[in-house]
Amino acid sequence: MQSIIERIEKEINAWVPEKGTEEVGTVRSTGDGIAEISGLSKVAMSEMVLFDPTFDRPLAEALKDPSPIYGLILNLEEDGVRAVILGEASKIYEGMLVRRLGRLLSIPIGDSLIGRVINPLGEPVDGKGVTGAKEIRSIEREAYGVIDRAPVQVPLHTGIKAVDAMIPIGRGQRELIIGDRGTGKTSIAIDTILNQKNEPEATRPICIYVAIGQKESKTAKIVAEFSARGAMEYTIVVTAPASAPAAIQFLAPFAGATIGEYFMEQGKDALVVYDDLSKQAVAYRQMSLLLRRPPGREAYPGDIFYLHSRLLERAAKLSKEKGGGSLTALPIIETQEGDVSAYIPTNVISITDGQIYLETDLFNKGQRPAINVGISVSRVGSAAQTKAMKKVSGKIKLELAQFRELEAFMQFSSDLDAATKKSIDSGRRMTEILNQDRGVPLPFEMEAAIIFAATNGYLDRVAAEDIRAVETKLQEYLSREAGGILVAIRESKEIREETEKALREKLEAFVERQLKTT
Amino acid sequence: MIDTYTRLLEAAAETGSAEVAQVAVTKLMMHLQSSGRVNMLPQIVRELRKVAAYRHTLRPRVEVASQKEAPEALSAAAEFGIHAPEATINPSLIRGWRAQENGRLIDHSAKHALAHIYQKVTV
Repeated sequence: MQSIIERIEKEINAWVPEKGTEEVGTVRSTGDGIAEISGLSKVAMSEMVLFDPTFDRPLAEALKDPSPIYGLILNLEEDGVRAVILGEASKIYEGMLVRRLGRLLSIPIGDSLIGRVINPLGEPVDGKGVTGAKEIRSIEREAYGVIDRAPVQVPLHTGIKAVDAMIPIGRGQRELIIGDRGTGKTSIAIDTILNQKNEPEATRPICIYVAIGQKESKTAKIVAEFSARGAMEYTIVVTAPASAPAAIQFLAPFAGATIGEYFMEQGKDALVVYDDLSKQAVAYRQMSLLLRRPPGREAYPGDIFYLHSRLLERAAKLSKEKGGGSLTALPIIETQEGDVSAYIPTNVISITDGQIYLETDLFNKGQRPAINVGISVSRVGSAAQTKAMKKVSGKIKLELAQFRELEAFMQFSSDLDAATKKSIDSGRRMTEILNQDRGVPLPFEMEAAIIFAATNGYLDRVAAEDIRAVETKLQEYLSREAGGILVAIRESKEIREETEKALREKLEAFVERQLKTT
Repeated sequence: MIDTYTRLLEAAAETGSAEVAQVAVTKLMMHLQSSGRVNMLPQIVRELRKVAAYRHTLRPRVEVASQKEAPEALSAAAEFGIHAPEATINPSLIRGWRAQENGRLIDHSAKHALAHIYQKVTV
């Protein structure tokens, strides 16, 4: 009690009236989360304003709910301005005083955000009290230019064999995850975050998961999974649930990017997942229509491309002079009925450095992750692959694409020559090898060893339907009996001659043991 | 159209001359009659009322918590260029004063200070 009194007394003694005048406006009308404000003639675009409930009410009444309500100026007009209300719009009333805050929309950031769940304004929503973040940063800023960047060359392992082998992602890259609802888009992102636990602490990226327009139950489940698996030690969750105002959903990815940049500028690696940008686009469309901006294709405003390009351009690999940090972005886009040629999907495809395309048909066939290898691509390619992975994955993508062609052909012809049959069998086995359950990302050395076994014929005698079971045994066997080999691959990031020899010996022993047991 | 007519009348009123305003109204009436738009008149009046109400909010005003603070508040506000003819009493300010004019605000009231401190302490 005494400490509270002392603190209040300290604050009272320290208070000095603000010098000079401040610019204020009044709410002319409000509705649908938008406020029309008279005055504020000098306010800047994207500046924050404060709706002050204490101004024209007795203090006791105003302090019943003292939480400040902020607004974001988005339209500057001849006779006033329009702002989106970043809070409970029902508390805004006509004639309410609006104060300029003199700063663009900013959030507090800092290392103390790690392990926390916050909203896009940087306020904690996990019930663990204040975040303690001190540095204030504007959430809108220009992306780094060409001079400040370095080529993307360091891999960011997802722990998903199919992705790391065929669609490698580099630190600083922007890789889109696209597909219909329920095809496993979020799972890929979640597994990628979980897999960072396998990275050495020194090079482990700080992960930021931005949930936009998601059900709160889904976000809670994800946070619980991160906590249970120890991933919250290096993860920050920014949540703008479906029940949040459109403005908050629109801001969420920018808040995520700002936090990511903070770590990038410290020379660290950061990974930000935007789940998902289609919902952000819908929120922005709603805001734009309410702000009476002219609608364009699919009623999206004219600057919808710029909305996503300026966000995703902030992902970067910085040059050594700038500290060498990186910000990798994994935006997610939800398609309707597999239509990748819709407005938002084509926009984001053209902005990103590749896409992982997930298909409902493959998902229904039981393929996990349901990646369509044919149209999935990473434009950074093998530059962001370790030598080990490059060596083992070689032609998998091509062989799988050929297998898909043959598989389609096989449906019409039962009479196949031996070579075709062999190719189909091999394709089936490889498909099975690349199948992976959700939530079990593999360390990259294990991925490399398993793919090595598959591509070098060690699993050729196993029927496709038995591959999953054999693979599990192989993983156990390698962890138990080939620990040194795995460590050698992890440390050197390649499969050297002597490592390869040792690995082959171990695999031969495994195959022999396997033959004896069957 | 209503906006345009309202602005014309506003401009005439701004001259401060009753004669100019009278001429503007007469000419507008003639124009509305000749173009068959007399039914716009109530809307023009409504717009003018809105403008007048808005202007009223922009007028210089000084509020004080108690009458005894009025002289000091008026002179302090004048130093900032806000010349209000008189101060109105607003007990909700608790102590101190605040002055407003044309979108500018000087808030030296205890209410503002206490709200500020409350937010700082409770966050």
